[in-house]
This record gives sequence, structure tokens and C-alpha cells, in this order.
Amino acid sequence: MRQGLSKINVVGLVVGFSFLYLPIVLLVIFSFNASRLVTVWAGFSTVWYRQLWHNQALLDAAWVTLRVGLISASVATLLGTMAALALSRYPRFFGRTLMTGMVYAPLVMPEVITGLSLLLLFVALDLNRGFVTITLAHISFTMCFVTVVVQSRLMSFDRSLEDAAMDLGATPTVTFFQVTLPLIWPAVAAGWMLAFTLSLDDLVIASFTTGPGATTLPMKIYSQVRLGVTPEINAVCTILIAIVSTGVIVATLINKRRLILQARDERLAAAG
Amino acid sequence: MKSLGSIRNDFAPWREPQAQPFIRFEAITKRFGQFNAVDDLSLSIFKGEFFALLGASGCGKSTLLRMLAGFETPTSGRVILDGDDLAGIPPYRRPVNMMFQSYALFPHMSVAKNIAFGLKREGMPKGEIAARVEQVLKLVKLQDYARRRPDQLSGGQRQRVALARSLAKRPKVLLLDEPLGALDKKLREETQFELTDLQYELGTTFIMVTHDQEEAMTMADRIAVMDKGRIVQVATPAEIYEAPKSRFVADFVGDVNLFDGTVQAVDRGRITLQTSAGSPFTVTSDVAVSNGQAVTFVLRPEKLRIAAEPLSGANVLEGEVWDIAYVGPVTSFHIRLANGAVVKVAMINATRESPLQLTWHDRAWLQFDEDAGLVLTA
Repeated sequence: MRQGLSKINVVGLVVGFSFLYLPIVLLVIFSFNASRLVTVWAGFSTVWYRQLWHNQALLDAAWVTLRVGLISASVATLLGTMAALALSRYPRFFGRTLMTGMVYAPLVMPEVITGLSLLLLFVALDLNRGFVTITLAHISFTMCFVTVVVQSRLMSFDRSLEDAAMDLGATPTVTFFQVTLPLIWPAVAAGWMLAFTLSLDDLVIASFTTGPGATTLPMKIYSQVRLGVTPEINAVCTILIAIVSTGVIVATLINKRRLILQARDERLAAAG
Repeated sequence: MKSLGSIRNDFAPWREPQAQPFIRFEAITKRFGQFNAVDDLSLSIFKGEFFALLGASGCGKSTLLRMLAGFETPTSGRVILDGDDLAGIPPYRRPVNMMFQSYALFPHMSVAKNIAFGLKREGMPKGEIAARVEQVLKLVKLQDYARRRPDQLSGGQRQRVALARSLAKRPKVLLLDEPLGALDKKLREETQFELTDLQYELGTTFIMVTHDQEEAMTMADRIAVMDKGRIVQVATPAEIYEAPKSRFVADFVGDVNLFDGTVQAVDRGRITLQTSAGSPFTVTSDVAVSNGQAVTFVLRPEKLRIAAEPLSGANVLEGEVWDIAYVGPVTSFHIRLANGAVVKVAMINATRESPLQLTWHDRAWLQFDEDAGLVLTA
């Protein structure tokens, strides 16, 4: 193995990272621009962040997004986990292959079609479009992501753990809450995070299923950008980026800590 | 019956006609689709026995164990434990506990919590749970490890925690699924004796599933050899080895030489056998045979003597040294006879220096006593 990076690796890294992050870096920088013009730098300022607090429409949209995200992610996690359990626990029930296929299909379904079909359904059911319909739509399209995440964890799950719990006198319900759930918990939490993030940044499906008074943040941003990009939008986006990257960093640190603890456990085990 | 092996069995309820079996499998069949995992099997196991189900993978031994634990339901037949029919009783209400092959320790609980798990389900008071946990940890010599989590333990320690957990509820029967399968050889040998001592001390009925004949022979009071969902023979380890009932059992347990022969003469318990191995064998046997009958003659490798010069007397075979393996306690020879058959001979290395000097392709002579082998008609 050679030490260090060759020239071509350095070029690759620089080009790759620029391609990925240059737009975001620009966005963050210009959110601190004192000028009203997006492309002209006029000194550092946090004025747009302060102004955000007075933009009631934007704050309302953020609040709607947060509520939709929390509710839909929680319900989707519940339903998705149940579906994953059913699919991995009863390997030979009637229609299993069909159901597995149907769980995966929404992952690749064009959002426009999902949105349109949900809209048609809500119209047919005569549901007033608004907060409830967006939430229902988000539950339906994020659920399959949860199922996929939880199902992959269940595939590597040692079934004899559940047998052992029952053998020791635990009823199936107690077994689920004392053994199965604590062990698949990280996957369930990851599924929830994924569902929440997907709900947070969904524009297409929300646009199809929304109604008066229920505007989500992505919809709000999109409609404002059509009238021209303001530094205020840059500020909102920067805050969103900060939230998401904090989440990623925390998750990474937790994972790192787990690895360190695991290494310590292995040393302990080897020492006897 | 003369004593087989060199162990006197004082504990042998299966020989007492008035003894009541503790566990009875009555005409059990378990079908998976078109496949009969267990096929019309009946078996009685007595209280306090260390019983082994021995067989190759797929012979139905694990299915039988899982039916006793309640994880599988028999397609037909009954399982009776201590006089109660177990039909319809779910695993969490059966007075049996199982030690799993993978140990199945709950990774998110400490050793103490793992052991307390079953006791809590019983609703045992906290103080009693703590006392019982300590007691079983002491039993498996892991008192200092109560607060560790399973992944902080070595393989051998995990095995002992699994054992402690399955014993904590004081089950009527302990089921062990390949209990030593995951341990390395040295540890396995140590644990075999520990497990037998523990079973003797507790007096609990143990039923073990294994594919390892040495494991079964070391630990069990009786062994049931299984094949294709049926029991081929149930007997003590010595009987299984020295008096197998069929060619299958003889071949499955231990090394063996099998000769196909025809009965030439029968004379008051002495049989003259014609085989393709050379001059006829004269062997003693209490099996009823008639002239001209085809039989199998079973001869274990350690029951043959080997020499580098011609031997006189009966039951002598001559051949060429085909292979030699020195493994310490014994030296194994493969001798190729004139008819092409290879006979295995195990010479016990009772002394450090051996007068016998043989190498590959030397001529060698083998001899066995009249009562060294076994005549099988099955």
C-alpha cells in the first residue's frame, strides 16, 4: 500500500466535493448577505434571520410541515413496522409475494402518479383537502420506506431469541415488547427518521393533496422562489441544512460510540 | 447379557419392567408438506435420565425436541410428560426449558437479567429472584459475571449462561440442542464432564440433540440413533457401539469394518462364514441363522491385531499396508486385502516403543478373536 493520495485522487476528491457541496456553500454564504440582491455581496449580516421571525406566513408553513412530519412519521412507523413483522414472520401466507412486491412498488413510483392517485381518492371520498389529507398522503408514501428498513433488520434477527423468551414463559405479547422491540428499536427509529425527513421535504405529493390553509414549508419556498429568490429563503434553507446536518452528526457520533463500546466488549470477552 | 463396555450401570430404569416412563412420545408423526420429518415414532424416557437423540442433520431429532418444547405441533400422535398430554399447551406454559444451539441470550440484557427473565414471568418475588440468580450463577461458576452483557463474554461463558438461564426455573425436563456445538475441542471435552456432573447433581431429566456421536457417548445414559424420522436403536452407549442392531447403526457410530458373508455352517453358537476376504471366519454368535443365509459381519478396528509376519490359527487376514496414521493414543492402519477391500485396524499404543515396524506397501497380517465381532442379519 502506498501512503498518501495520488494526484488523480486529489483531483477526484476536489471535483466530487465541489459538485456536491458548492451550491450549498453558496446558499449558506448568501444567507448572511447584507444586500437584498442575491448575487451581489454587500457584507456580513444576520438581518434575514431576524426578519424570518416576523414572516408569519413562513412560520405558519414551518409549523404545518413540522406537525405533518411528526404525525405522519409516527403513524407510518407503526404501520410500516407491523407490515415488516407480518412479511418476515409468516413466510408462507397466501399472497406474500404479491404483498412484498406491493410494499416495494411505491419506492419507485413517480411521485406525480402517487400524488395524483391520492388526490383522486380524496375527491372520490369527498374529503376536504388540507392538513388531514396531506398527513394521510405522507403516511401512505413513507410507510413503505419504514417497512423496508425494519424488514432488513428482521432478516438478520435470530428467531431463536423469541423462541427462548417463550420457552422461559413469556407470552407472545410480552416477547414482542421485552425482546423483539428492544432489539429492532434502532431500525424502527431509523425508519421514523427517514419517514420524517421524506415528509419534511416533500413538495410534489403535498401540492396534489393540499387545500386552503395547509401550506407546507417546501410549497411556501417554491412559491416564493417563483417570484424571485430572496436572502430570506436562503436563511430558511440554511436553518434546515443546520437541522439535518446536526441530526446526521449526532447519529454518526452515537454509532461511533457504539463501535468503541463494542470493541471494548470484545477485549473484555477475550480477556475472560 | 454380558457386560458391554467397562461401565456398570446402576441407574437403569429402562430395564425395570414396573418403572413408569416420565416422557412418552406415542406414535408421533410430523409432516412438513410432503416430507415426514418424524415418522410414526414412539419413545419412552425415564425420570433423571440423560438422554441423547443422535443422528445426521435432517433426521428429525431437532423436530422431536421442538415438539416437546411446544414450538412444533405433531401432525398426529401424543406427547406425554409426567402423565399430562401436552397437546394444545403453548411453549410458555410447559414445564420444560431449552438451551438453544445459538444460546439465544438476550443481547440487550445483563447476564443476571437474562437468568431472571423466566423467573419474572412466573411472578416470583424480587428477593427470591436475586437469590435464585445467584444460586444458578454459582452452579455454573460465573458469580463474578452477573453484570456483564452477553457480548462481553467468551464463547464458553456464554454457553454456561445459557445453561444457567435454562435451569433457573427448575424445569422438569431440560432440552439441549447441540449444547457444545459452538465450542472448540478442548473446551468441549471439559464441558462434557461438567454437564454430566451437573445433571447427576440436580437429578433433572436432560434430553440432548446432537450429531456428534462422541458427545452423545460421553454424556448420555441412553442414546436413540435416528434416521429419516425414525428411531433405529435405543440403547446405552456401550450397547450402541458393541452391539449395534443394524448395519446402519454400526456404520454410523464409530469406525467399523463390514464384511458381507454367507453362513457356511452353524454349530452350537459358532458360525463359519464365507466372505470374499479370504479363508472362512469362525465366529461366536447367539444370532439364529441357517446355512446359506447372507449376513453382515461387524468388526471394530481396535479388535484386530496386526503383525508384520505370517500368523497362525483361525481368522487371519493378509494384505498390504495402504495407509498409516499415527494419532497418539492409537495408530491406524488401512490394510488392503487381495480382494481389494480395505480393512481398518487401530493399534493401541500401550507402550512408548513399539516392536512393530511397518511402512507403506509392506505385507501385514491381521487376526481377531472368535468373539471380537458381531453377526448381523439386518
